[in-house]
Amino acid sequence: MCVQLHHCVGVKANRDGVIGRRDFLKGISASAISAGLAGGLLHWTDLVTAQAADLRSRGMACILLWMQGGPSQFETFSPKPGTTNGGETKAISTAVPGIQIAEGFPELAKQAGDIAFIRSVNSREGAHPRAQLLMHTGYLPMATVKYPTLGSLVAHEIAGAAGQLPSFVRVGGVRNTGGSAGFLGTEFDPFDISNPTAPPTNTTVPTDLARYKQRLNLLNQLEVAAGSGKLSPESAEHKKLYERAVKMITSPDMKAFDLSKENDKLRAAYGESNFGAGCLLARRLIESGVTFVEVVLDGWDTHQDNFGRTTKLAETVDKPFAALIADLKQRGMLDKTLIVWMGEFGRTPTINANAGRDHFPKAFNVALAGGGIRGGQVIGETDANGVEIKDRPVAVNDLFQTFCQSLGMKAETENMSPIGRPIKVVDGGKPIHELFV
Amino acid sequence: MIRLRPSLVVVSLALASASGLAQATEYNTAVKQTPLMTWTGTPTTSTLAKSESTAAAKQVDKLLVEDLAALDVVIKFGRRAPDEVFLRRIYQDFIGRNPTPDEVTAFVLDPSSEKRSKIISRLLDDPRFGENWARYWRDVIMYRRSDDRAQLAAPALTEYLTEQFNKNTPWDETVRSFITASGDVRENGATGLIMAQNGNAADITSEVSRIFLGVQIQCANCHDHKTDRWKREQFHQLAAFFPRIAIRPVNTDDKKSFEVIGNDRPRRLAAKQANRPVGSPEHFMPDLKHPETDGTKIQPVFFLTGQSLAFGTSDADRRNSIAKWITSPSDEWFAKAFVNRVWAELVGEGFYNPIDDIGPDRTCTAPKTIDCLAHEFVDSGFDVKRLYRIIAATEAYQRDSRSRRNPNDIPFAANCPERLRGDQVYDALIAALGMNDQPGVRLSAAMGGAGGKGAALLRSPRNQFDQIFGFDPSTPRDEVTGSIPQALLLMNGPQINRAINASRPGAGLSQLLASTDDNESVTTELYLRCLGREPNKTELHACLTHLKKSNTRAAAFEDIQWALINSTEFLQRK
Repeated sequence: MCVQLHHCVGVKANRDGVIGRRDFLKGISASAISAGLAGGLLHWTDLVTAQAADLRSRGMACILLWMQGGPSQFETFSPKPGTTNGGETKAISTAVPGIQIAEGFPELAKQAGDIAFIRSVNSREGAHPRAQLLMHTGYLPMATVKYPTLGSLVAHEIAGAAGQLPSFVRVGGVRNTGGSAGFLGTEFDPFDISNPTAPPTNTTVPTDLARYKQRLNLLNQLEVAAGSGKLSPESAEHKKLYERAVKMITSPDMKAFDLSKENDKLRAAYGESNFGAGCLLARRLIESGVTFVEVVLDGWDTHQDNFGRTTKLAETVDKPFAALIADLKQRGMLDKTLIVWMGEFGRTPTINANAGRDHFPKAFNVALAGGGIRGGQVIGETDANGVEIKDRPVAVNDLFQTFCQSLGMKAETENMSPIGRPIKVVDGGKPIHELFV
Repeated sequence: MIRLRPSLVVVSLALASASGLAQATEYNTAVKQTPLMTWTGTPTTSTLAKSESTAAAKQVDKLLVEDLAALDVVIKFGRRAPDEVFLRRIYQDFIGRNPTPDEVTAFVLDPSSEKRSKIISRLLDDPRFGENWARYWRDVIMYRRSDDRAQLAAPALTEYLTEQFNKNTPWDETVRSFITASGDVRENGATGLIMAQNGNAADITSEVSRIFLGVQIQCANCHDHKTDRWKREQFHQLAAFFPRIAIRPVNTDDKKSFEVIGNDRPRRLAAKQANRPVGSPEHFMPDLKHPETDGTKIQPVFFLTGQSLAFGTSDADRRNSIAKWITSPSDEWFAKAFVNRVWAELVGEGFYNPIDDIGPDRTCTAPKTIDCLAHEFVDSGFDVKRLYRIIAATEAYQRDSRSRRNPNDIPFAANCPERLRGDQVYDALIAALGMNDQPGVRLSAAMGGAGGKGAALLRSPRNQFDQIFGFDPSTPRDEVTGSIPQALLLMNGPQINRAINASRPGAGLSQLLASTDDNESVTTELYLRCLGREPNKTELHACLTHLKKSNTRAAAFEDIQWALINSTEFLQRK
């Protein structure tokens, strides 16, 4: 049933202005493309890009760069150089006068004009599992309701009957964390990619294509024969699912998973790491109609050797994050793509006996770019020692309200849990208005 | 699925009063301390308890007809399921496996009129009965875990439950062991439910009430129920039985685990327990307007009976008391929650839906029938296997299946096809493709997926498979849908396709092809292996036509085997 529902989601015409190359692409309607009018003029990626934007409601998309383990705010975007709590980490200037970030992010510093750094996010959850679910769903975990994770929520609310790819892809996820579609149903579960440089699991056809088609044909015949000449409702649903799966793996959109299609210069800009490849893959997927891509980087739980480890982690994040912003901008996609950088909490101001920092949900930082938010600004601030928030606290539901505003989702929309309990997309909170003026 | 509660309440009241549930008429009156135990023996039950299970089954069928007659519609019951449909159904329902081709043949050819009841008895004694239902209950408990580290407890939980079901431990005893459990979660499986909720009093309360009473009282955690009688205070009174539970990490050289303890002196643990509940002497109901304050201290009171304990009572006394009160024979909802769940799993639809949302303010589709079964269950001393035996012997269970009914259709006119759980699909695949004794053709690598810390525990092939095919068994079955990764795994999984490959020596298919030249026999055997039945004429024709069109005999049968494991029927039991 859900399969059907998904395809029934109305394809809303895009009323918003589109900039750059998008304008041109927008001028060509999806129908014209399917009629083959543009076929000779445009490269396939242009074609899918044009369709993807048409098919996603308002053309919005989101990339979540998830920092698993809880990234230290002191070593990322809220450095406190020269204080005991700040440790050995230095600050560097950015492209925006007056905004400094930690020294590990020289490339990102150049893109600061497009980034909003929120230094006053806070929660009360200091244990990984609960905090990870809170930051992924906007709700505290509850025994009796499985809340949907952000990617599933966004896919459910704004993915149109987009191309052939799943609407929510998660790259490099750590098993069992990050949440699932919960009560929204398996259709909105993340499609997991463990290795961004290899084809997704089980998408390679086991025989030649002709025989594969014969097999599918035989399957159809046997399904009809089993129902004495007509398909049962279960078989009809099964058939739709299989058609979707086959369409997906035989579709040209699958090329989006093939990073070798990108030129060497751009691949180099994203860096060598799997996380970098994941960021590049995220851009390609968004371009091909995927609504939400989550790229996971594990390792931020720096109870020991905080400074050595965060130096390496910053190196892993800096280039790809910066390249992603620049790349999306150059393609005219940044305004329509919200990038969220965050983890489950921050780390203690006090440096422990193992030169590490422990869990600290009282004040941590999140970075946002694109999606119509105004970059080049800092929201909120902690005191000189990084212990207390002294200005503009941002709660987790404020953050989720902000995502909704950027992506054109209605936060007050109620979805029904299996026992018929209405659950809002976001419960309470207010969008961070400074980001939208 | 949108359910409009208020209208349901009206219906439920009408139904409830019609069936003589006196407490329904008390709705909207002062409920705070009103005992809900109006549950007394009815004339039907005393004779039933003593009778044979087949006689009991007849009584159930008779009451079901009465219940449905009250709906004032014409009832068209489905026919009795053919032998092979019944056999695969009872195998899947009882032991979670397909019958082997030999078992199907033997059963169908058996002329005995008692053969269905004989197979019911035999499968109840099969050790896989306990294993199958242990996995089911593990999923009921673990799918709602609030902490993934609880997965550590899953193997012990499954083992413990397997033993209880196979020994036929009375259900009340098993449930009491869950509520009162303590000790190492990797050794004492009964700690599974508490560990799944990380020892958190409010979450344990929600789950104990949902799973064992079928009452979703957790909505009252934050506010009074809008459509139910439960008050916020009543939720917290129940939570007040669990505040002293603590979870303590166990870290030795050779073991990492957790321990559930009753901590009557909380301060001793507090220092080293940053992220784990250390236990609190009493439960406090949070002040919603001032969350930073301690809230109100709450005394333990059981909402169904009003039984209470004093402040200061020890953890052991609190948990023993509530375990006893919840599982009391006079507790209508305890018996009904189990009966409703088992009936729903076997017949395809509960008397109450969703199966874990029952209680005095919910609609029941066949009140006399569930009353009868619940009384029977109580009178038998919560004899689990006897309940299964009775339900499986009913006509309602043994009818042919029809697709899930529309809301306007009459319930229980037919059995209902059910999607198999992850474990069932896994075992069906292993058996159908003969993957058992073939090293290197295990299902494990078919999945890929991410790694990460703590994942080793979950890397067994069965667990990995379950990541893709598993679902929360409490979810209404019509809301459980297939997924793209499932289809991709069955269609393209390298291990599966290798297992199908007829040219591989020792493969199930190559042996079969070598054993006979008769293509009709091979087709029939493949249908038996995969679906537990012979092909019908059209299916046989389609397969033989496919053979003619294929390059080789081997390739044709590979395709047929592939199509069968990718069929709708392979993933469900009819």
